[in-house]
Amino acid sequence: MPSPSEFRVSRRGFLKLSGAATAAAALGGSGHLTPVKTAQAGTKLESGFESKFTVCDMCFNKCSAIARVVDGKVQKLDPNPKFLKSRGMLCAKGNAGVRQLYDPNRLKYPLLRVGARGEGKWKRISWSEALDLAAEKMKAIGQKYTRCGFMFMAGADMQSTYVHRFAKAYGSYNTLSHESQCLIAGTRAFLDTFGEVPIPDMLFAKYCLMMGANRFESLVTPDSIDMMTAMKQDMKLVVMDPRYTKTAAKAHEYYPIKPHSDMAVMLAIAHVLIKEGLYDQEFVAQKTYGIEQLSKHVEQYTPEWAAGESDVPAEAIVKIARELGAAKPAAMVYPGRRSSNYKDSTQVRRSFAIVNALLGNWDRPGGLTAARMVGLAGGVPLEEPFYENNPPDRIDAGKATLMFPEEGSFKLARDAVLEGKPYPVKGFFCYHSNPMQTVANRAKTVEMFNGMDFVMVMDVAMSDTAYMADLVLPSQSYLERLDPCSAQQGSSACACVVMRDPVVKPMFEAKPALWVMQELAGRLELGKHFDFTVEDFRKAQLKGLPGALEALKKDGVYYNPSKLYGVYEGKIYKTKTHKIELYNERYAEMGVDPMPVYKKHEEPGANRFRLVVGRNAIITQSSSTSNSLLMQFQADNALWLNPKPAKELGIEDGDWVKVQSPAGQQWIKAKVTDMTRPDTVYMDTGFGVLSKQLAIHGKGACIAEVLVDDFDRISGNMAMHETFVTVSKEAA
Amino acid sequence: MPKQKLAMVIDSTNCLDCKGCMAACKVANNVPDGEWRNWIKGSDPQRRAGKPVVFQPGNCMQCDKPTCVTACPTGATYKNEADGTVVINRTLCIGCGQCLAACPYGARFKNKDLGVADKCDFCAERRALGLEPACVSTCPTKSRKFGDLNDPSSEVAKLMKSGKPVQIANEKTKTDPNIYYLGETGPADWTVAAKMPDAFDFWRGLADPVVKVVVGLSGLGVLAMLGKQLIMPKDAPPEEHKDRKEAGHE
Repeated sequence: MPSPSEFRVSRRGFLKLSGAATAAAALGGSGHLTPVKTAQAGTKLESGFESKFTVCDMCFNKCSAIARVVDGKVQKLDPNPKFLKSRGMLCAKGNAGVRQLYDPNRLKYPLLRVGARGEGKWKRISWSEALDLAAEKMKAIGQKYTRCGFMFMAGADMQSTYVHRFAKAYGSYNTLSHESQCLIAGTRAFLDTFGEVPIPDMLFAKYCLMMGANRFESLVTPDSIDMMTAMKQDMKLVVMDPRYTKTAAKAHEYYPIKPHSDMAVMLAIAHVLIKEGLYDQEFVAQKTYGIEQLSKHVEQYTPEWAAGESDVPAEAIVKIARELGAAKPAAMVYPGRRSSNYKDSTQVRRSFAIVNALLGNWDRPGGLTAARMVGLAGGVPLEEPFYENNPPDRIDAGKATLMFPEEGSFKLARDAVLEGKPYPVKGFFCYHSNPMQTVANRAKTVEMFNGMDFVMVMDVAMSDTAYMADLVLPSQSYLERLDPCSAQQGSSACACVVMRDPVVKPMFEAKPALWVMQELAGRLELGKHFDFTVEDFRKAQLKGLPGALEALKKDGVYYNPSKLYGVYEGKIYKTKTHKIELYNERYAEMGVDPMPVYKKHEEPGANRFRLVVGRNAIITQSSSTSNSLLMQFQADNALWLNPKPAKELGIEDGDWVKVQSPAGQQWIKAKVTDMTRPDTVYMDTGFGVLSKQLAIHGKGACIAEVLVDDFDRISGNMAMHETFVTVSKEAA
Repeated sequence: MPKQKLAMVIDSTNCLDCKGCMAACKVANNVPDGEWRNWIKGSDPQRRAGKPVVFQPGNCMQCDKPTCVTACPTGATYKNEADGTVVINRTLCIGCGQCLAACPYGARFKNKDLGVADKCDFCAERRALGLEPACVSTCPTKSRKFGDLNDPSSEVAKLMKSGKPVQIANEKTKTDPNIYYLGETGPADWTVAAKMPDAFDFWRGLADPVVKVVVGLSGLGVLAMLGKQLIMPKDAPPEEHKDRKEAGHE
């Protein structure tokens, strides 16, 4: 029989896990109005629970949170009210973090594949067997194909730094992250205009034009929350999106823009700003380079022309340009985050950056702010070894004009691996990332894995990528982990540091990445590169921030009260001309358009649609969709299809349809709705999984299966919205 | 201690329909899968030109004239005089389901794990520990505000004075709810007329109201159970309950 305290735990917590559901139900009536005092005096239940700081890992935002813990079990996760970047909130996914920790489908032990790859047949092995095997394979592949023959991928995780460190110590240049599926085109564009990637000062903006972003559903802190507060302070929000998102639903004005025509609208806005003298002439004269070239360049891009390209009326474009001009400098074109859309996404986002520059909003309230000083150091330094017989560069080197060497391009690296050129890559380690679900053209990813000698995946759950592995390693949930510090930028909200301490003991045989890297390093005679603890690493990170550790322990966050506006006063910009580059000299030298040139795009034409993908506030791509709480909101995805083509195709709401592209096909339920354009269909990310060890298996369709794997020619970012599909209602 | 009048004052126009409040409530109150103590109405907006769409968060309205209390045959559901909340004594609840039909807001459901009526209680357990209701503390845009209307210094009391608070009520069943909406409410046509258990009025008339609670379990409870089986088809949830669940699933 459970003691009274156990009863309390079980009633407030996970009935299924505690196995005390019956007892709880029987006793459920008491205590409803009274404080929690059923436990014996002197226990911690006197005050209900212990409160421990943690950092959420349900998406990339890393919100500080408070875990309410009773008898070693997390009962509830609450927001940390002192955490300004999230404005003291915790979203649905953050609240559902408890279910990740106690997911019965969690990976519990190292698993070795015994069936065919992707068949889902496994044998439980010990950690020492698993690590011996992994080290042996790493050694063998390194010897046979050079150390660059082993590729490493790590997601947006606080311990990913150790995986990248391991790759360097081991000697492979081939490291990947999630970024080439996500944001590097936008990063490239703003770096190549301002010399750094801005943080929007949404809270104090008076006007925001949002295109290529869905900030009220795809939550980014503090932008999403500040956007609502700013709207209450009379900020005007104008949204252009082929889809009627909830951001569009909350906007003052919404335009169902034709996909791939954002640049046309933006160049026309630049045209109006310049022609009518509405841009910040003093700022542009002092701080930018290339206004003459730009003025000439955008002459051709009239609002009337842009209207023809975009379906946004010319009068609206003129009006928006004038309103932006009137509200400047507290007016912005929202830079956005995921920009893995088109072959020219860097140039599209360059056009966003250029309009911001014309508004003179850089480094000013309500505009785009520079990164503030946080002061977090890099941790324990690595003495990178040199391996003589390595090839000269990454496998995807030179395949796009201006790639980020640390991030690479998953798509281009995969192409090179499949081709076996310029050299073979036969090993793959993936930590907390899931390219099988997030990278376009899943068939090619499968093919890549099939050609590998050894694939190892470490994650919390059996993701589709883990499902393809030879060896699967169970990772600790964030609530069990001791992690290094992480610096965060939040414009007017903060420049801050968070860190993660375990709130409960690790379950099963789950381990942290650092431990695995240390064990492997030891077996590969690389132990000296990992001769530290997380505490040592934190200490090195925090060495320049006296008092930070105490603040982190006390408040769950350390704030650096650093300068927010005017950071660039008296400083040069980190570009070739040391100014904000409307005209990019470096691009000109490299044969890239120095200013964005709008090029006619292929249109879907008759009986085809452009497929666009996205998510809502309860989806973090494929990492959240099997969460048993979040599944109660959404347990599959649907294909949004406009009523007009639906009628022509004889498709009714709820019908099963086949979506087919040159990459692949999926069956999915149709959602017939005027919330998408007649030429555009839409799907949520994160469904249609192959892994039978995920609760969502068998539900919905997979974006990666039907998306065509094109790429942005400058950054190497994935270009997911270059996909045309047919939609048909056929017997399955 | 002075009597409290606990209430929520909600600015629907702040709501993003992010589901944070629903997820927080579910975890905080251990609400079984598929059942919800709170909701967001209007989750599947239709295209609306020229004006922002309004999503509407809500939960049990802790009414001052609660029809659920009248409908309850055992006294399990009652108005807590100390703070104004409508609460369920799970020991007395016989799970007859009459209160579900009697609620114009569909705020109640039969907890499938416990077999008794369940609904929002403004997070009584969290309040006892000095925490705000889970939905209030987690809300990204602080759409939901909570406090004591009898305390003029409380944020909710101030909001009531500064804004133009409105209640959402059903024309046929006015219950004087304690959730107030500021300005635009969003959808307001989703309430239903309370279905009161006619048959019980007769039995109730026979019983001394003072004795009702005491005899609830032994005498009236059994009668009520019988009555339910006679009056309602087995396992048929009241309509508004179904609607509410669907709203939560969008």
